[in-house]
Amino acid sequence: MTRTQHHPALRPRRRLVPGISLRHQLALCALLAPYLIGSVVLIILPLLLTAPLALTSYDGLSPPRWVGLGNLRALPGNPLFTTALRNSLLFTALLVPLRVTAALALALLLRRARRGVALYRTAIYVPTIIPGVAYALIWLWVLNPIYGPLNALLAAIGLPAPAWLTDPATALPALVLAGLFQLGESFVVLLAGLDAIPAEYDQAAEIDGAGRWQRLTAITLPLLAPWLLLTTMRELIASAQSNFTPAMLMTGGGPYYATLFLPQLIYEVSFDRLRFGQGAAMTLVGLLGLAATLALLYGLVGGWGYDDEV
Amino acid sequence: MRSKLRRLSFHALAGGAAAIFTLPLLWAVVASLRPAGLPPPRTVAWLPDAVALSNYRDIFTLLPMARYLLNSLLVAAVAVPITVVVASWAGFAMALLPSPLRGWLVLLAVGLRLVPLTTLWLPRFLIFAKVGLTDTLWALVAPAWMGTSPFYVLLFYWSFRRLPSEVFDAARLDGAGALATWARVALPLAAPTAAAVSALSFVHYWSDFINPLLYLRSDRTYTLAVGLRALQQLDPTGMPLLLAGAVVMLLPVVALFLSLQRLFWLAEAPARAQGG
Repeated sequence: MTRTQHHPALRPRRRLVPGISLRHQLALCALLAPYLIGSVVLIILPLLLTAPLALTSYDGLSPPRWVGLGNLRALPGNPLFTTALRNSLLFTALLVPLRVTAALALALLLRRARRGVALYRTAIYVPTIIPGVAYALIWLWVLNPIYGPLNALLAAIGLPAPAWLTDPATALPALVLAGLFQLGESFVVLLAGLDAIPAEYDQAAEIDGAGRWQRLTAITLPLLAPWLLLTTMRELIASAQSNFTPAMLMTGGGPYYATLFLPQLIYEVSFDRLRFGQGAAMTLVGLLGLAATLALLYGLVGGWGYDDEV
Repeated sequence: MRSKLRRLSFHALAGGAAAIFTLPLLWAVVASLRPAGLPPPRTVAWLPDAVALSNYRDIFTLLPMARYLLNSLLVAAVAVPITVVVASWAGFAMALLPSPLRGWLVLLAVGLRLVPLTTLWLPRFLIFAKVGLTDTLWALVAPAWMGTSPFYVLLFYWSFRRLPSEVFDAARLDGAGALATWARVALPLAAPTAAAVSALSFVHYWSDFINPLLYLRSDRTYTLAVGLRALQQLDPTGMPLLLAGAVVMLLPVVALFLSLQRLFWLAEAPARAQGG
């Protein structure tokens, strides 16, 4: 939006000096080449390899053996897979709405530039910038029932102190709690979305006598809808993998598989047990499930709200 | 009076939120200074009882931390410059290529960014194993050859598009080739973006846990992220040591973030104009 603000007289110049030649364009393509080749080798090729790999039995030593849909058919009968799938879905269903709501509330609170806001915004982003391993180690300590500060705090104000990571009932919610604070990216995107809403709309509605709540639900949220959709989709993709590091370091998938998620199961099946075909089949199911969820979400609310071609 | 009350309640609310978001980190720093091996504290420790920097010395003898640190720095030192060059080349070419092609390339970058990384673990591992990259630090640096993230390419693209096209046309009419225009005109004008991408990609490689976990097999090649994993096995009385390790790992990142804050927000600013 801002870049169309060049002086109008400058714009036709790009055409007045016609793309000098093929030679220049070829030179540009050469500059593009490392990125394109890298993306093909590191993203597109691996993506395309997943499906055929899922149809084979392969241990990395002897050549892959074709098994057709065998790997995929075996998944529903695999209790570890169904547990991991259920846990992953529960994790996503808890974390994504919490994160988007909290990010929205914080963005609404800190949207206007005033004294202290920069400091507050920075503080909100801090947990997001911390490396995953360091973050998991810190929360391993925070959630420790005896040595950790959280239960000391809860006991001090007279609340019950759960066993957190060692209790199958609270282990998954504890990981959700730890993950909740890493909402910086959504927070920043929603701040940007709020920034893109012209202040005049709000002012006009205020003059017309609309209250705060009315302005929020009738003006701000509908205008923010495309950004909320974008944020939710990004959070869905992120939550499909963001539980790997905390689960590996904090619970190892336990207790009693209560925090066994799909990424960890794929990791163990593929790299500990060297069943690459099975791992690929699980990867494929996870990918298709995620794609279906995103498509469904987009189909349901994609047309909702005001679209400013953001 | 009313506006004063409002301001007060804003600061109470925002300050409270800020405190909740930074509290675990501050607690952790305080607790990392507590001597290890003590019985559990009975109350929340707000200030350290005795400043025990010895934890920071001890983790270097407990684990080959110096080796891990060196490996992490080595990976970042190689990957960050390659990332900046590859991503800015791609962004530069995208900004100057003619219209329909440019649109397709932006779409491709956005699409590539949506691919969940979990999907790539397994096939990438097999590709790396085939070409003999596993258990070398090169496997960790490999993503730099595609600019690390399509997002960085888009950041450069947006910042080059904001420059008046005259600048590039003038350089071209002076007889400068694409590479010379990039080096002498484009990159210097996009210096803030280059700094932001450097910082972001440093944080990316420094924090990377999954790739070293997948590709590294020997202690000799471990980076800080996988090396520190061993601390998780400490018994609870050793938690101050575990926290000291976590602080060593997060300190450079938080320091970088706080000192380059303007750049971090700037990196998000183009997303502002483009809808993320």
